[in-house]
Amino acid sequence: MTGKTMFITRMIDEKRRFKRYKERTAQLPTNYRTAVDGFERYLMVFAPSKGADLQAMFDDLADLFEESVASGTPVRDIVGDDPVEFIETFRRNYPMGQWIVNENERLVRAIDASTRAEGGSTAGADATSGLRDSRNTGEDTTS
Amino acid sequence: MSTKQMTEMLKGTLEGVVLALLRGQPAYGYEITTMLREMGFADIVEGTVYALLIRIEQKGLVDVDKRPSEKGPPRKVYSLNARGEQELTEFWTTWSFLSERLEQLRVREG
Repeated sequence: MTGKTMFITRMIDEKRRFKRYKERTAQLPTNYRTAVDGFERYLMVFAPSKGADLQAMFDDLADLFEESVASGTPVRDIVGDDPVEFIETFRRNYPMGQWIVNENERLVRAIDASTRAEGGSTAGADATSGLRDSRNTGEDTTS
Repeated sequence: MSTKQMTEMLKGTLEGVVLALLRGQPAYGYEITTMLREMGFADIVEGTVYALLIRIEQKGLVDVDKRPSEKGPPRKVYSLNARGEQELTEFWTTWSFLSERLEQLRVREG
């Protein structure tokens, strides 16, 4: 398969997953759907740009709200008093967007260079491998 | 007791608490939230627990089993695996160290 066909296949697959997610949330009672739509919008703006990673978050959110409807948990008891705090904690559990990883690695290298000039240690190697791990997890989710 | 302080302190320990709850008895999200509330953590919300379950799942500390329920969607049932057991042991070691030091500090202050 050429790169172009693979790209199109992936696009179609992502569209299909998003459509399925939208069908699920459409089934939720109105107040739950209002909450999910709010989080969806927030994640669209702040979450990683890679479609598959974002979709994993959407699917997990749909799971949470469907389970909560079934157990009769009110929306306030799902998200708490601070919805931003909730969604930020939620978001941090997923792989970072690639540009964030790149920026983090760049910062680690800058501090390494700065401490080398002081004759100090370069603890940064460790930190960078940590970042690589989280990036690899990100790539796993697409397969 | 300050709720704000409690929330902040729980952030660092909730993972260990949930691992401890899952030890010996698999449970799904709602059950875990209920157990925590019964323990006296009344302000814990479902979403916080759910986000944490996603994290420990991604870290490979639990095994997840989807089981059908009579009403509603299938439930994700979480059980502690070997890596989770190891993590829990480390959590208790860290906790003992921390609580000992804090107790020393309190006695000295008292």
